[in-house]
Amino acid sequence: MVFAVGMTRQLLGRLGGVFILALLGSASVFFAMRMGAGDPAIAALGDFATPEAIAAFRTKWGIDQPVVLQYWKWLLNALQGDFGTSMTIAANVPIAKLIASRLPNTMFIGLLALTIAVLISLFAGTLSVLRHGQLVDTVATSLAILGISMPDFWLSYVLIYIFALGLGIFPSYGFVTPPESFSAALYCGFLPALAVAAPMAAAFTRILRTALLETLHREHVRVARSFGFRASFIFIHYVMRNALIPYVTVVGLQIRYILGGTVVVERIFGVPGIGALMVDAAFARDYPVVQACALTFLIGVLSVNLIVDFVCAALNPREIT
Amino acid sequence: MWHSEVNAQTPILRAAITGFNVINTLDPAKASLIPEFYIIYGVFNSLLKFNEKMEISPDLAENFSIVDPKTLEFKLRKGIKFHDGSDFSADDVKFSIERVLEEKTASPNRGKLQSISNITIVNTDTIRIETKAPFAPLLNYMTNTRTATQIVSRNALKSMGEEAFGKNPVGTGRYRVKDWKSGEMIELTGFAGAFEGAPKIMNVRCPMIAEESSGMTAILGNQVDLTSTAPFADITTLEQKPDIRVIKQAGLNTRYIALNNKKAPFDDVHFRRAVSMAFDRNVLVKAVIFGEGVATPGILPPSMWPDNKPAVSDWVNFNPERAKAEFAKSKYKPGQEGTVLTWGSNWWRRIGEIFVGQVNQVLGTKLTVQASDFNAAYARAKAGDYEAMVMGWLGFVDPDEFMGEMVGSKGFRNIHFYASDKMDILLEKGRMELDPVKRKLVYRDAELLMLEDMPLLPCFTSNVHNLLRANVNGFVQLPYSNFADQFGSVQIG
Repeated sequence: MVFAVGMTRQLLGRLGGVFILALLGSASVFFAMRMGAGDPAIAALGDFATPEAIAAFRTKWGIDQPVVLQYWKWLLNALQGDFGTSMTIAANVPIAKLIASRLPNTMFIGLLALTIAVLISLFAGTLSVLRHGQLVDTVATSLAILGISMPDFWLSYVLIYIFALGLGIFPSYGFVTPPESFSAALYCGFLPALAVAAPMAAAFTRILRTALLETLHREHVRVARSFGFRASFIFIHYVMRNALIPYVTVVGLQIRYILGGTVVVERIFGVPGIGALMVDAAFARDYPVVQACALTFLIGVLSVNLIVDFVCAALNPREIT
Repeated sequence: MWHSEVNAQTPILRAAITGFNVINTLDPAKASLIPEFYIIYGVFNSLLKFNEKMEISPDLAENFSIVDPKTLEFKLRKGIKFHDGSDFSADDVKFSIERVLEEKTASPNRGKLQSISNITIVNTDTIRIETKAPFAPLLNYMTNTRTATQIVSRNALKSMGEEAFGKNPVGTGRYRVKDWKSGEMIELTGFAGAFEGAPKIMNVRCPMIAEESSGMTAILGNQVDLTSTAPFADITTLEQKPDIRVIKQAGLNTRYIALNNKKAPFDDVHFRRAVSMAFDRNVLVKAVIFGEGVATPGILPPSMWPDNKPAVSDWVNFNPERAKAEFAKSKYKPGQEGTVLTWGSNWWRRIGEIFVGQVNQVLGTKLTVQASDFNAAYARAKAGDYEAMVMGWLGFVDPDEFMGEMVGSKGFRNIHFYASDKMDILLEKGRMELDPVKRKLVYRDAELLMLEDMPLLPCFTSNVHNLLRANVNGFVQLPYSNFADQFGSVQIG
């Protein structure tokens, strides 16, 4: 009972926090975009637009009005769920439609990447602890350092050259959305997901390895051993369970990077995702699209944080207040 | 999507738009971006077009005549149908061109056609275009290029409204738009009733690939059959691949350093000339575009008039001694600072970096490079808040589009704040001179005057490229960067 009340109160408080942060975040993105140099009219009308065409464009999109007023109008509409239409990258297409078609692709690649990263890390992390100090451990640790240090765009091209152009196993470019064909989406999405997964897998492996090693020498494990439990039982119930708390926290922290981390990879592999959308929009000064993407990212990250906190609380009920 | 059906039964041409992924409208009057025209070329026809030798040839007009220096008469082909099955007529021609001229259309190309005073329908298949004064560029502006003069169906546009027409355009071209996913892909389907004949391949997919290098890996991995561009750095490697064909030629483009003639330090003509002689344009060609182009001694790309001798001026020859002597005449001293705006992540940026390095070495100046993206840099330049900026224009077919716009006192691309009465008179003469031979001489004089005043620093012209899978035939490349106009004659295998 106390537990449930505490949870509910915390949840409501956190949701309020999410709302305020989203508001602040949207305002800062809005004003930062407007303060930076650049002109949507140039992006939409091209470099040889006449002054009349530019003036007409500005009036049409209301960007000749005071910035504060523009924000106020945007906010009122956004609160009603209306993000407007794109100005310069997909003229007149409703932004909600753009995001609805792009976000699932990013989430698909992200989840696929996360799955790959978790599988690799659970395997590699556990193995390197069980074979601590041996060759397997050294290899796993070295690969982890490599995975963290490799830039994703470089890794993407390496994967393309090896698996697409060299071995011809995977396509070098292009994407099929999951609703069109789930198996084709897995096939086309594998290399981009692997490129996104590599640094995550490395980070996960390292944290799991460290946490497992630390827990292995804790007192409760020694006590368990003195009871004469089987080694595998001790590892799963006493070591792994405790090591999973920092692991899940790090996995949660990394999920937020999935959204941003796919930006470059999406462009290289041609995945029509929200990261690529935001980059295109920023280059073309499509203010409302950048704004909506930023808000989507922000709400995504804040929600993930929320979920991670509650999952950790569930794994470790002692910390609930 | 386009990937999964690589081996489908019906032949599909996978023609990737590379280096760009924004298409906002396919309404010729409203379009401005290069990829928009890539598609427009195949959906619409103009009165005229360029043939493979870049000669003006018939399109919707079967011939034309010059009635008097201010009047052109076009005889239209008969029996042409629009995509919606309606008949093409002189009404559509008059409507399409007048629409570009109307202020409320806000066409980016309106300025080009403003010398038109009257469009008269003589009969259903004859139309006359009159200009206020003799206007030499008019024939070029009536071609299917980046001109906005592609002929739209009047009825379709009226009934659909401009916005819907821009998404579902109705023209006479060999392809119609079948599907369009913003920022991802445009799908075209062949128009069996096209007057140029039904296309050989009826289904075309045009994925939009923002990264040129991804376009390259896509064609290497057989995910696409054809690309609209190729990365300069990889041309040599690609030319050695047996399953890829690289087609290239000198493009109708110009790459230069724009200077703000109203602001220190480029407000001093001696300093501008000194800087011009302080860097080697051939080095730029080698280091920036890997030899895929030529250093240019002026604004007009050499391929515009291949038989024409360029204007010759010492002001554009690399000569450190003369550069230093000229620098001494200026009001600036070694150590002079200045900022060159540059943008993008690859070769555009290198132009600025290499230019600044060379000039500083020769003159002892302290010029620096400031990098951002094109939009930010260009917005600053337009507002006059800059000293120098790496610039380029491409895809234009008339000298007035280059020189008139760049160094004419009222030119839209004159971000140099350069105004010279002598230049304006020459440019006006160039617009009015209908004799092609004499017209070339006028522009040569204009180039020489430009080089004396040096309001900008011409650098080079680059090649245009298309990559084709080895089994793709029938694509004819034109130097203004054409694209969908060729799909109808492309064959695979």
